[in-house]
Amino acid sequence: MYELLIENIRSKVAISEAEEEQLKKYFIPKKYRKRQYLLNGGDICKYFSFVVDGLIRSFTVDDKGHEHVVQFAAEGWWVSDMGSFLEETEAMYHIEAIEDVEVLNLTKPAMEEMLNELPVMERYFRILMQKNIVTLQQRVVADHSLTAEEKYLRLMEIYPKLIHRAPQQQVASYLGITPETLSRIRKQVAEKGD
Amino acid sequence: MTTSKTIAIIGASGSMGTAISSSLAKTGNYSLLLMSDQTESLPELKSSLEQYHSNTQVHIIDCAKEASWEADIIILATPFQAEKDLAEKIREVATGKIVISIANPLNSTFDGFVTTPDTSAAEELQKLLPNSTVIKAFNTTFAADFAHTVIDGKQVDSFIAGDQETALNTVAELVAGVGFNPIIAGDLKVSRTLENMQLLMIQLGMKYNYNWLAGWKILHN
Ligand SMILES: NC(=O)c1ccc[n+]([C@@H]2O[C@H](COP(=O)([O-])OP(=O)(O)OC[C@H]3O[C@@H](n4cnc5c(N)ncnc54)[C@H](OP(=O)(O)O)[C@@H]3O)[C@@H](O)[C@H]2O)c1
Repeated sequence: MYELLIENIRSKVAISEAEEEQLKKYFIPKKYRKRQYLLNGGDICKYFSFVVDGLIRSFTVDDKGHEHVVQFAAEGWWVSDMGSFLEETEAMYHIEAIEDVEVLNLTKPAMEEMLNELPVMERYFRILMQKNIVTLQQRVVADHSLTAEEKYLRLMEIYPKLIHRAPQQQVASYLGITPETLSRIRKQVAEKGD
Repeated sequence: MTTSKTIAIIGASGSMGTAISSSLAKTGNYSLLLMSDQTESLPELKSSLEQYHSNTQVHIIDCAKEASWEADIIILATPFQAEKDLAEKIREVATGKIVISIANPLNSTFDGFVTTPDTSAAEELQKLLPNSTVIKAFNTTFAADFAHTVIDGKQVDSFIAGDQETALNTVAELVAGVGFNPIIAGDLKVSRTLENMQLLMIQLGMKYNYNWLAGWKILHN
């Protein structure tokens, strides 16, 4: 249940066995069924979720009712609506299980208590957040300046396992292209790879 | 599809399990996970629950750990005697969750408790589940009361005890949702009184033949 999280923490910081044991009590183990919502837009996001198993997406819905995928989260990733979680404001995102999912949920009070009692976790989250900011900045630039094909290749790099697991329509939505364009690009990329 | 709470009812085939899940199903506010060792009766219960409200989702799970893992709130609708084994099974996956103790730890002759006076079923469960939030609720209402939350023209009171405020409020909302008047009685220690209240109610019910349809009501101005 906690192996993947602990592995993830160990990859970023040095943590003792006693600390590993201690951190378990802060996480709520939880399962969601495929298509179940972890968060409904407009609600307050109560959890910062670490994905142990399965695939999750966060997305927004525009005025016309069109969905826009913001993020995918598979095993070893964290997912949340950070603004809503930290500021306790209405969530902008919907978060949905694309597959049956197992997560470890952190509430804000539990997270704060953990950070107080286990400074090593503060270091872990700092490193995690740094990486997140870098990824986000690259994503913003990518959105403006990369071609559809380059965006696709970048996605393959960041989420190598995911590209075949997520419904193609959602992958297209994440890339901001139509499913037809995505299928054309996939063909091109596959041909180049041959 | 919303972020409605998922509730596991462990012992769903029993009198209380059936009564509680029926009442919760009628609200349409919750996803329900029915768990019992004897699963034969559960498909029938599931289909009747699903007819109460179009929003109500019901799943049958034959393992207490799996059901508790998927749940936000866990209700142990089982005899007190079963709780030690159950707690062992669900301890890890119940971390950070509300666990509702409905048990009255009656002895076999219904004239006393198997617990000592310096504790309660709820406090014993809390010791077994140190990383969960145990809340006492539904122990002062008979199973039949759930279908008759108003008796003799008065809405039955339903007492709640626990040590954590947000969890108490969540359970109070749930109790109100099924039609009882929720009264937060105090911290988890107050469970001793609440359990004794129901011992008295059972004894009086047998003596005066209340027919298991009776409840507590505080009259006040
Ligand atoms: N009846 C009432 O009016 C009332 C009122 C207030 C509180 N309570 C409390 O509610 C609880 C349930 O009472 P009840 O009258 O509903 O009893 P019940 O009808 O006998 O039901 C007991 C349930 O617990 C399950 N169970 C029994 N032993 C178990 C074990 N070792 N592991 C897992 N599950 C087990 C049974 O499932 P299987 O059949 O599959 O074994 C059944 O679903 C008790 O603690 C009681 O004190 C009852």
